[in-house]
Amino acid sequence: MSNETEHPKGEAAHPVYRTTPARTGKMLVIMLGICIVGGAIFFGMWDYWISQPPPVVAMMSGGDDHGGPAAHTGDTISSDLSFIESSDFRTLAFNALPGESGNNPSIQMSVGDKVVFNVVNDGRSFHSFGVTHDDEGFSGIIPGSEVASASNPLKAGEGGTSEFVAGEEGIFYYICTVPGHREQGMVGTIIVGDVAAPEPVVETAPEPVVETAPEPVVESAPVEFSGVISLPEGSGAPGCDETNECYIPFNVSVSAGEEITWSNDDSAAHTVTSGSPAEGPDGNFDSSLFMAGSTFSVTLDESGEYPYFCMVHPWMIGNITVN
Amino acid sequence: MVVELAKPRPIWQIMFSTHHTDVGLLYLILSLGFLFLGGALALAIRAELFLPGAQIIGDAMTFNRIFTVHGTTLIFLFILPFASAVGNYYVPIMVRYKDMAYPKLNAIAFWMIPPGGALIWLGFADFTWYATPPYSIISAPGPAADMWIFGLKILGISSVLGAINFVVTILKCKHPDMSIGQVPLLAWSFLASSLIILVAIPTFAAALLMLLTDRLGVSGFFNPAMGGDPIAYAHLFWFTFHPEVYVLVIPAIGMMYEIIPRFSRKPIYSYNSGVFAFVLLAIVGFSSWAHHMYATGMSFTEKTVFMVGTLAAVPASAMHVYNFVATMWNGRIKFSTPMMWAVGGIALFFSAGAGGVANAAMPLDFSTHDSYWVVGHFHLFVMGTIAFGSIGFLYYMFPYVTGRMYNETMGKVHFAMSFIGTILVFFTQHVLGLYGMPRRVFDYPPIPEWIAMNQIASIGAMIIGVSMVIFLANMIYSSGKGPLADTDDPFGVGGKYYYPFEAKNPHH
Repeated sequence: MSNETEHPKGEAAHPVYRTTPARTGKMLVIMLGICIVGGAIFFGMWDYWISQPPPVVAMMSGGDDHGGPAAHTGDTISSDLSFIESSDFRTLAFNALPGESGNNPSIQMSVGDKVVFNVVNDGRSFHSFGVTHDDEGFSGIIPGSEVASASNPLKAGEGGTSEFVAGEEGIFYYICTVPGHREQGMVGTIIVGDVAAPEPVVETAPEPVVETAPEPVVESAPVEFSGVISLPEGSGAPGCDETNECYIPFNVSVSAGEEITWSNDDSAAHTVTSGSPAEGPDGNFDSSLFMAGSTFSVTLDESGEYPYFCMVHPWMIGNITVN
Repeated sequence: MVVELAKPRPIWQIMFSTHHTDVGLLYLILSLGFLFLGGALALAIRAELFLPGAQIIGDAMTFNRIFTVHGTTLIFLFILPFASAVGNYYVPIMVRYKDMAYPKLNAIAFWMIPPGGALIWLGFADFTWYATPPYSIISAPGPAADMWIFGLKILGISSVLGAINFVVTILKCKHPDMSIGQVPLLAWSFLASSLIILVAIPTFAAALLMLLTDRLGVSGFFNPAMGGDPIAYAHLFWFTFHPEVYVLVIPAIGMMYEIIPRFSRKPIYSYNSGVFAFVLLAIVGFSSWAHHMYATGMSFTEKTVFMVGTLAAVPASAMHVYNFVATMWNGRIKFSTPMMWAVGGIALFFSAGAGGVANAAMPLDFSTHDSYWVVGHFHLFVMGTIAFGSIGFLYYMFPYVTGRMYNETMGKVHFAMSFIGTILVFFTQHVLGLYGMPRRVFDYPPIPEWIAMNQIASIGAMIIGVSMVIFLANMIYSSGKGPLADTDDPFGVGGKYYYPFEAKNPHH
């Protein structure tokens, strides 16, 4: 150590101490320790830190009207729900179609109880899940109760879990939050406390289609196509297929290389996906979900028949013939 | 990396010391740690942009988090603490006082930085270092965003406390025999930048609080849905952070003022013009903030005022460059590592400044706004000028801090690779911006020119990355096992050094 402190010229008024390997090592060990501890917290909590929306979001959407999120003080109830569709996609439900046992099961709970939902998309179309206090529509979803969202829904076979803690007595509804699906029957009630069980007013889903729906007449002659295919207002509800007005015009013929544009003039989000509802997408083109007011364009270079449909509303079908 | 002023002490005594060289050492180690962390994020960004599409970063939000923390870290946790480290080591010695004016306040200012840095790093917010409203208010997920706001709040207070300390130390504690006109230019640079901090930071402190209450929903200053105006935030933010650019660059220029005369073996060409340029920069720095906002629909009159205000910074900057060149002129220059960094820094300062003058012209600004031109421009300043001056000064300080010499060859390789890399990355990004590539994008369309220029920039970044590994190895190895430095004249250029061993009252 003595040579470590010696000044090379020996002229200094006081000895010069210099850093030693041991002290550099100590410093590195301290820094490495900080990095290991900090890194464990950093990676361990990576997702947690971005898990909460800012409080102003709940206020701006009137979140105080919707009960939760509330403190969990009571029992935990588990509920398994699966999205199912009738074969013609007109009737949607949880667990079983209307008329069968287990259709849209009601959940009875007390204030402070927690329901854990395990939802699975057993259908072919897109769905998403949430709990709301509103007795119609798809808004007012209580934070924490949602699984996926209408703009990023569960695809066929996907699933997820969420929780709902009841903060006040009343009737809540678990619904499919994809616009239109609640009205088609994807809604069940959650009764919190001693509220009288409601008339199943929302369960107005039609009987499992007794009247034979006319098959969409895809075979009709293709019309000459000019410009844009419109997805008209109301195509998000079944019925437009009876007159082939889900995509207008629904059957077009274009020449190879011509650009085809779809314009979503409806209030709901739709897709333009090549294939058919029965066989699923064939991969030629897919708009994925595009919002009301936006457009999607595709250019087909090879001649042939291109049937297409909407993944969210599978009664919506159309056809393109490329010459 | 611990120099012993009087006798070897346990490391915890250094950590909880209030002595200016000890606090300076803590600042130094912390800032270097964050330099490497922030630099690693930069490499991740460049690797991601090497090709269109997702490469190594999974999704756009993670990308946003990475470049947000990259910017925040390198500005607030590397450049500012590094300047404080240099100031702590040198300012009391230069004004011949035993310590900083308020030693405990000095230690408090340092110890506010680790919690602030931890909040920023653990949260990893995603709303850019500008905390872009209204996104940051109505959409940025918490608690990360709130942690960023609190982290910045803490770092802002730390800056203000540090600035008060420097101002009082320089103005009130300098030796009675010493007039303000004899204070060395490095100390002058801390006086100028500290005064800017004191005027500028409170505005941002207010803006941060407003951002927080907006997020909580109790106010709507910047929330259009509640009648607020995001442009108001832009004014408050840039009123702080345009002058903050000068807070960052002035100490780096001060460091060059210490290095360049020493290695040119000539006195500084014009001390008075240096002082004048510092003071002028500190004043005109406040007349240009809205040049960041030309594209927000300001009136022609406002734009003209801020264009002229921006150009007013040119003479002051040019005075420094002229001063450096005139000092080197006819000097017996010794190109040791610190001198190479300083001279490279001047060259890049000139280039960045030339780009800035072009950019300040509002018609051009409309085509460069929010493009990679801007990224290239300000990085050329912060990397090419500020980091070059700082790293050069770190090599210059190294023998004083450790009593040992770094490896000269590795230092020169570090400089050469960083210089080439900086030019490859940031000059290219200027051109990329003129080709229309927007900044802050995770993915880009496969336009051949964009791909080529992004790849040049990414390769440049990797060269800088490799040079930084060499730098790290040099620092670690040399601080433990480097050759003993001649503490009177470690660089063999003669003259009187300001020397931390001269610190008074070395262990209290």
